[in-house]
Amino acid sequence: MTPRRLLHRLLALGRQGRLDRELDDEVQAHLELAERDALARGLSPDEARAEARRAFGGIAQMKEVHRDGRSARWLENLARDVRYGVASLRREPVFTLVAVSVLALGIGANTAMFSLVDGILFQPLPFPNPDRIVRIWESPTPDTSNSTTTSTFEELQRRSRSFAALSAESESTATVPINGEPTRLTGRYVSADHFAVFGVQPLIGRNFRPEEDRAGAARVVILSHAAWQQHFGGDRGILDRDLLLDDEPYKVIGVLPPGAFDRHSSRPLVDPASFWRLNAFTPEERAASSHWLNPIGRLKPGVSLAQAQADVLAVRSQIAGQIPAWKQDWSMKVEPFDELLVGDRLRQSIYLALGAVVLVLLIACANITSLLLGRSAARRKEMAVRVALGAGRGRLAAQLLTETLVLGALGGAAGVGLAVFLIQLAVPLVPAMPFTAEVALNWRVLAFAVAMVLAVSVLVGVLPAIRVSTGSAVVALNQAGRGSSGVNDRARRLIVAAEVAVSVILICGAFLLFKSLGRLQQVDIGARIDRVVTMSVDLPYERYPSGHHLAAFYPMLIERLQAVPGVESAAIAGDVPLEGTGGENLRMPGRDERLLVRFKRADAAYFSTLGIPVIAGRGFTPEDRIGTPYVVVVNEGLARRLRDRFGVTNPIGATVDLPALGFGRDRRAEMTIVGVIGNERVDGDLRRPASEIAYVPLAQAPRMQVKLAVRTRGDALAVVPAIREAVRQLDPRLALADIHTMEEIWGRSLSGLREPVWLIGIFALVSVLLAGIGLYGVLSHAVAQQRREIGIRMALGARAHDVLSLVARNTLTMVILGLGAGLAGAFVLTRVTGSLLFEVSARDPWAFVAGAIGMGLVAMVAALVPARRASRVDPTLALRSDG
Amino acid sequence: MSTDKTDKKELLSGTLDLLILKTLDTMGALHGYAIARRLEQMSASVMRLSQGSIYPALIRLEQNGWIATKWGISETNRKVKIYSLTRAGTKRLQIEVANWEQATALVARVLGAKA
Repeated sequence: MTPRRLLHRLLALGRQGRLDRELDDEVQAHLELAERDALARGLSPDEARAEARRAFGGIAQMKEVHRDGRSARWLENLARDVRYGVASLRREPVFTLVAVSVLALGIGANTAMFSLVDGILFQPLPFPNPDRIVRIWESPTPDTSNSTTTSTFEELQRRSRSFAALSAESESTATVPINGEPTRLTGRYVSADHFAVFGVQPLIGRNFRPEEDRAGAARVVILSHAAWQQHFGGDRGILDRDLLLDDEPYKVIGVLPPGAFDRHSSRPLVDPASFWRLNAFTPEERAASSHWLNPIGRLKPGVSLAQAQADVLAVRSQIAGQIPAWKQDWSMKVEPFDELLVGDRLRQSIYLALGAVVLVLLIACANITSLLLGRSAARRKEMAVRVALGAGRGRLAAQLLTETLVLGALGGAAGVGLAVFLIQLAVPLVPAMPFTAEVALNWRVLAFAVAMVLAVSVLVGVLPAIRVSTGSAVVALNQAGRGSSGVNDRARRLIVAAEVAVSVILICGAFLLFKSLGRLQQVDIGARIDRVVTMSVDLPYERYPSGHHLAAFYPMLIERLQAVPGVESAAIAGDVPLEGTGGENLRMPGRDERLLVRFKRADAAYFSTLGIPVIAGRGFTPEDRIGTPYVVVVNEGLARRLRDRFGVTNPIGATVDLPALGFGRDRRAEMTIVGVIGNERVDGDLRRPASEIAYVPLAQAPRMQVKLAVRTRGDALAVVPAIREAVRQLDPRLALADIHTMEEIWGRSLSGLREPVWLIGIFALVSVLLAGIGLYGVLSHAVAQQRREIGIRMALGARAHDVLSLVARNTLTMVILGLGAGLAGAFVLTRVTGSLLFEVSARDPWAFVAGAIGMGLVAMVAALVPARRASRVDPTLALRSDG
Repeated sequence: MSTDKTDKKELLSGTLDLLILKTLDTMGALHGYAIARRLEQMSASVMRLSQGSIYPALIRLEQNGWIATKWGISETNRKVKIYSLTRAGTKRLQIEVANWEQATALVARVLGAKA
């Protein structure tokens, strides 16, 4: 066939009606002309008409050949099947509505889930050769990762051979005047090579130059695209301008392209970086032993991860002489960057949710298959008649499949709409979203949705199609719709049993996760978090150049805050509960052993403001300041540790050796323990055991970056404007940032579990509902089919109670089969919830009890209506009706 | 089936297209009935042809772009399609004729050799 002809045939499809009319006209004209000629030859009008028709031949056959020849038959069939399918779906609006919503739910949830999986797990990082980007860590023990020191990083830069580019990253914040308003921005200190590691060039302006991160180099800064747009209106003139970071002029040299660097980092509550400035190490920083740099590098072409690892270890052993004795047994490791972006827990939550959503889709499919089987049983007679009249069985099956496809397409369209909504809903909920992830309804996701529609339609439609097209026409006609097909019924029962099984698995999983969430919510924070608002303040070096300046500022600020109406008490500390804090080595005088403890600065009001109880001795007082003897407060955990490890039975009055973090100095000093307080949770991860913490007075270890914790009388956030004003009166150039209530911070600490729990919970609910609907469908169908039988039994003296037991037996076989399979499945499968569980065993017997009872109740409700209907069958009516 | 047609031969497949093209080539634009009459007159004694069978052939030729249609008025004052040969159709006819002559020559030679 020529392409031109094919085109015409396809076009002809769309204008069948017109072409048929034209042909009719032509035939009519032809016959008239032939008749006229015949009359002219002398025939009578009747003979002439007959002669014209005889000469023409069979009109109907000719039209059939005409139609066949001019267009593609299979396409025409398809079009007709689609029309027929749509019509037959419109005849049963309730069936269609239920089926389409069930499909929409299943396909929508799966599409949304796939877009998450696609965005977070499948999409490579938006950088060239992302697999070449690695992080380098120090590892005090094989399972822990630590930042590195300035000197180790510089040795890596000098000695390693594996990296095409190497950068040391550390966090940095700065107060920047934006439209006259001091605003605190989050940024990074990086090396000049930083964007070479990622292979990213600025959108406008230039990159850092290699010589620019040497000491004394020009102060330059690169802005993120988001910050440029948000704070500077996307003004290209920014490149010529100086930006004041903490009162120091920095020249803006470039703006990054939009995208990857604008998104949130993997740490909650941390803003994406707005600016990058250079690490130009001072001699003090080179000499200091603090671990503050996070190296990130790009591997040279051809260098494997293992080779890089060996290289880094070799450097480490070359510089072993410079490393203090107590860190000699630390090691170093090289890890792929993308592995780090997607935390193990996020990955696990996603796979778990994906598994659940696939189960829900399977249940949805099972339900629809069951509905279709029920429908096809009702249509057996229609199909049998058509087979008897000569319709090909293949054509019938194709037609039924097309109907399912129409159903699938409708469900898919509704599902994609639902997915758009679900994605909007889900993205902000996903905890610790990696900064490179972009979750959207792109063509891959749409292709997935289309593939799913096809798969679902085939999955759902094949069984009913086979049933119909292979069923014996004679049997079906003889049955005259009286009884149901035993095979169909068995298939539907098995499907319902499978639905019950899957629902039980989901109930068990949801139960375990909810129980874990409950346990996690009950974890004692060790602090009162109601009505507390926290915020951070950075005191710039330029105006607060010494510890004395800082130490003098804190009490003034507290005094102002206390005077704010609505404030009950106010405190300043290095960090607030649940937001992490640093670690230091603690020694006992005369002992070589070191104890790695958490280390926190707090002022005199901190313990009382946060309701942390003083158990023995005292807390801090305003008298603990520069010049008075160094004091320490320990928490119960550390007190116990000191007893177990060093035999200190009464810690009060004992002396410990800790770094005295004077401003800009780094030396150790002996300090006296003056008090023991309750265990405050300093880490956001509540699954970990409580830490051992040493507290020092903020005034004796002053810090530029501090946190305010304000307990209020009423709504915590309502006093924020007044607090802002109080701070402004003290120093108009200070910016308040990270304003969160303690309850918010607590909520975030649950976020790794809360979202998967609700997700699985909802999936479990949906699947139970679907199973209930499936059960109801099968039972009411069975009751309807058995009306005659029930009627006969009742006429023979059976009572309502006997009939009820008939339905109950019917239900029980399905439910017990499903429960058995489900509980067995749950026993095996709940293990996948693994590390998401908290203080709950994956084999918690209550989970299985909950699964069994929950599903049992739903089954009872589902059986109720059909059972009542059966018990009310009127024998006379049932026997008289023919089916 | 009526017995008076037993002596007439079935049309060789494909030849109907060739005959229609040739008719339009010789006679110019015609409507369907005129084409059918002309074919009948030329072949009445040899071939069996129901007039209606030209219509599927006409749509096939039209879809291939070998003949064109326009609307005209018949002698009985009715709207009819008038068919005419296109340039592509003229070319096609030459090819078909050449093919036909080749085929008949071959068949004749084979039959002649055998005889």
